[in-house]
Amino acid sequence: MIAGFRAIVDDVGGGLLFLGQMFSTALHYRPKSHVVFDQIWKVTLNSLSTTALAGFFVGAIMTVQFTLQVKEFGALGYLGGLATSGTIREVGPLLIAFMLSGKVGAFTSAELGTMRVTEQIDAVRCLGANPFQEIILPRYIAIILSSFFLLAVGLFMSIAGGLLLGVVFSGITAEEYLRHIPTIVTLPSIVSGLFKCLVFALVLASICTYKGFTTTGGAKGVGRAVVATAVATMVGLVIADFVTTLIAEAILSMAMQA
Amino acid sequence: MASALIEFRNVAFSFGDEPLLRDVSFQIQKGEAFSLIGPSGQGKSVVMKLMAGLLTPTAGEVLIDGRSLVTLRGKDREQLLCRMGMLFQKNALFDSLTVGENVAFPLREVRQAPEAEITEAIQFYLEAVGILHAKDLFPDEISGGMQKRLGIARALALKPEIVLYDDPTAGLDPITSRKIIQLIIDLRQEYGSTVVAITNDMNRAYQLGGRIAMVVDGGVIVTGDHDQTLAHPDPRVRQFIRGQLEGPLAGSGTVTT
Ligand SMILES: Nc1ncnc2c1ncn2[C@@H]1O[C@H](COP(=O)(O)OP(=O)(O)OP(=O)(O)O)[C@@H](O)[C@H]1O
Ligand SMILES: [Mg+2]
Repeated sequence: MIAGFRAIVDDVGGGLLFLGQMFSTALHYRPKSHVVFDQIWKVTLNSLSTTALAGFFVGAIMTVQFTLQVKEFGALGYLGGLATSGTIREVGPLLIAFMLSGKVGAFTSAELGTMRVTEQIDAVRCLGANPFQEIILPRYIAIILSSFFLLAVGLFMSIAGGLLLGVVFSGITAEEYLRHIPTIVTLPSIVSGLFKCLVFALVLASICTYKGFTTTGGAKGVGRAVVATAVATMVGLVIADFVTTLIAEAILSMAMQA
Repeated sequence: MASALIEFRNVAFSFGDEPLLRDVSFQIQKGEAFSLIGPSGQGKSVVMKLMAGLLTPTAGEVLIDGRSLVTLRGKDREQLLCRMGMLFQKNALFDSLTVGENVAFPLREVRQAPEAEITEAIQFYLEAVGILHAKDLFPDEISGGMQKRLGIARALALKPEIVLYDDPTAGLDPITSRKIIQLIIDLRQEYGSTVVAITNDMNRAYQLGGRIAMVVDGGVIVTGDHDQTLAHPDPRVRQFIRGQLEGPLAGSGTVTT
């Protein structure tokens, strides 16, 4: 019990030191832009189709669920607004994060872990290059930027999915579906969605780069790193979701009062 | 005293609790070809990684050209490391880059050389180690000996003053081994660099022609040149260089591996 607790504290402490080192690298060295773009391209392309598909179905599901609820109040006109607002504020960012953790998180920790155990990271350092600048930072930045782009794609597809089901399932017109999106999806809800997306991406990127970078012990070690990444990311995301919801709520109510 | 290019000053090192090196001190002068020998698992690779700044001593200091790797930080440290090239025991090639790009990596990322110069350098170094024909293959598509050669080419790409070779002839046939050591000698003469090489094969250590040191029992015993090493009084050295089964080294890694 005590040992387990100590292991967690060690892990978190190690992670924070790692992040500190990364941010200090970010301050002193320019990340190599060609590597960053390479990574953004990879991450985005990798997850684009799944994100689009998932976005489409999330919009569809939300529309069906909301239809069942708002029909009796005769508020079908608000369907599009409700579904879209739910997607951008909560489901979208969370969905993107889970999607990326399965694809990019696992991939990154396995890749970095393998580079670590085959001494490629040492080789980078030995050649006078900075592994944080060459390897970690580009992946980190790419995960964060890509997640915003993917959120936009997912959102767009969810509107498309919702629209289709709105017409087919709920029997409203496209114009009715879209009409209340701008009234319900307000600036604060967009900001809180983006904020969540950012926080989730930070959590995800930090965990997979840290776990990969600190891998020890051969092929088994890489396996362990990937599993540890998956577990820590899930826990981290749920906690981050809770915390960001509280923060967003506080900000929203402050904005209301002002 | 201050003229040594590489100096270990009372270095101790351990992984966890078990001490691996205790109070190691020795110097390597500029321009030397220094061989490290010793039974498997006694810490040769660790000594080399301490030189390269990849491991930090638990006590003592490693000095390169009079500057301590232990206390140096940031860009100064990277500049010092740039002056060293290293061939890793397991090569540590960048497996997502082609053979050519492996050589180009330090030039492109560290030196930020123009592309024309990089193309030329790839040509030159791959030619020098005799694997130019494999330029566009990936490291796992070439043979073990070719991987070693690529590791050497990459280590040399920044024209380092100090080149560290960890077991450059491991797993190679006798003829290829000989050729690789000859290559190391030639490259050293061409660039006037200082070479430290680990080998488990006494003939290769003799071929290299410089001083020899043995890593054993947590210490580094500098045995001297070919003749001095052959006549060395330490029974562990005598046993090792003659490859005898009986002797003080019997219980160590030599037997178990
Ligand atoms: N990363 C590590 N973690 C823990 N112990 C290690 C690590 N690397 C090496 N060791 C231990 O340190 C000792 C020395 O290892 P080292 O690799 O320096 O041996 P070596 O002399 O190079 O042997 P060989 O000739 O077989 O390459 C070994 O007993 C090894 O088990
Ligand atoms: Mg070794």
